[in-house]
Amino acid sequence: MVNVDTPSSLGKPRGNPRVLYPLLDWDSEVLVLGIESTAHTFGVGVASTKPPYILSSVRDTYRPEKGGIHPREAASHHARVAPEVLAEALRVAGISMNDVDAVAVALGPGLGPCLRVGATIARGLAAYYGKPLVPVNHAIAHIEVGRLYTGFQDPVILYVSGGNTMVAAFAKKRYRVFGETLDVALGNLIDTFARDAGLAPPYIVEGLHVVDKCAEEATEPADLPYVVKGMDVSFSGLLTAALRAWQRARSKAEKASICLGLREIAYGAAVEVAERGLAHTKKNAVLLTGGVAASPILREKIGIMASYHSANAGWPPPPIAGDNGAMIAWVGLLNYLAGITISIDESFVRQRWRPDEVEVPWR
Amino acid sequence: MEIAKELKPIHRGAEAYLYLIDWFGEKAILKHRLPKKYRHGKLDTLLRRRRTVAEVRAIKEALRIGVMAPAIYYVDPIEAIIVMEYLPYPSLSSIIEGGDLEKAIKASEQVGRYAAKLHEEGISHGDLTTSNVLVGDHVYLIDFGLASLHSTERDNAVDVHLFLRSLESTHPEHVDTVFRAFLDGYRSIRGEKTEKILGLVEEIRLMGRYKAERRTLWGQQ
Repeated sequence: MVNVDTPSSLGKPRGNPRVLYPLLDWDSEVLVLGIESTAHTFGVGVASTKPPYILSSVRDTYRPEKGGIHPREAASHHARVAPEVLAEALRVAGISMNDVDAVAVALGPGLGPCLRVGATIARGLAAYYGKPLVPVNHAIAHIEVGRLYTGFQDPVILYVSGGNTMVAAFAKKRYRVFGETLDVALGNLIDTFARDAGLAPPYIVEGLHVVDKCAEEATEPADLPYVVKGMDVSFSGLLTAALRAWQRARSKAEKASICLGLREIAYGAAVEVAERGLAHTKKNAVLLTGGVAASPILREKIGIMASYHSANAGWPPPPIAGDNGAMIAWVGLLNYLAGITISIDESFVRQRWRPDEVEVPWR
Repeated sequence: MEIAKELKPIHRGAEAYLYLIDWFGEKAILKHRLPKKYRHGKLDTLLRRRRTVAEVRAIKEALRIGVMAPAIYYVDPIEAIIVMEYLPYPSLSSIIEGGDLEKAIKASEQVGRYAAKLHEEGISHGDLTTSNVLVGDHVYLIDFGLASLHSTERDNAVDVHLFLRSLESTHPEHVDTVFRAFLDGYRSIRGEKTEKILGLVEEIRLMGRYKAERRTLWGQQ
């Protein structure tokens, strides 16, 4: 199913690029097309140096009928929906390929077969229309588009999605990773539990995750393993213990308390490591981003945590917090303004491309 | 917590506030683990108690085997309070940032020996970073709240990973020299066992899904 976002559906970004990126030139109009295909979402967006900055964001997410994401099936989904998503993104932005100054693509990190679909399309467009190709790191795209929408100058970032759980902050020219998951990502934990417990698919019902829904009827959380080490979290023991308890559970109340325990421990641990990152770096804001940032419960917890440290908490709107093409277009624009492009011969995909490998030229 | 209301914390950490108090004529640190409203009340109470007890137990074991840590004067698990020795020393983190690399290297070697001794006894620290090492006449490990007294080899490898990652994230320009010193210290106690732990460290670093394969830092390709 295609999701179409326009500047009005996304709301006005709070950040002013001239303040956030004083090193770059915001005077002339530049348009960049961005392509995202790192995991289950194929997305295309258009970013501009002029307000409203994000001109369109169109995406189509692969949803397997059962089981998790199969990389090859996701890739063939992406190849199938690509023409329509691309055309729609250009149409909503009111531009044609000829108006675009550069084509940006997320070269990693992500699933190999999925990454290659986006990279192939981006290379093709760049070659055919004679546009420069701009490489973008997917994790940095989440961070920078989050800064654009929240206006945070220098936040600690909690990036939580199906494939990532990461605490990062800017220091010494790079986004440094202070903590991450030692095994399973937060979104993966919750979705895998929901699936194996027979609660999903669908994962979201009436705007709430099925695990949150199941937890609503509980009063006491089940006692399940809570593992924080330094600024790292570990969720594999929690997943196993929760599923074992689920198999033994007889009453609905028991099941509800497992859902509540799982959710409270998982979110609690993620917020705790973000808090450790905030206390360690002494920054004054927390940016929550990634697909799991859509959870109102997690947002509330992040807000409480930030208040303990007199810090602000914020998050981009859900279509921008989850995987999308607009964020790739946005960082493509920053990179392009900073003079970073890549030749087609060198535009390899990088499945394990960490954000701290990228020197950030615009800060 | 009545005492704390009248005092001003000398350090506001993520988990706990530290207060400098007078303990029968000696300066001492009162550590209070704060309730967190972002956690479910029952879970929060349980966690703070468990960590308070874990910290005291791990410090007692550490001191027993010759790993320097603050002496414990008093503990109240219900209120999540520990009163312990005041150590007025700078952290290894601030020594590295201050540029005294020679001192930092010597201290890191000692941290390596300490970690190895703890691991030999089945104790993992759980939060082994440059901020949790104090350097005075001796080197001290602090903040044992995430420690385990029944650690597996994987827990031990996580300690090594955490120390290395704290260098990468906070002191990226000194990763190689400081980590090498840590490993020299670690190897001097654990010998051959070290390579097995390092293998597990690499495994851990590749588990979180999208991590880069790194060049090995310890020279065994």
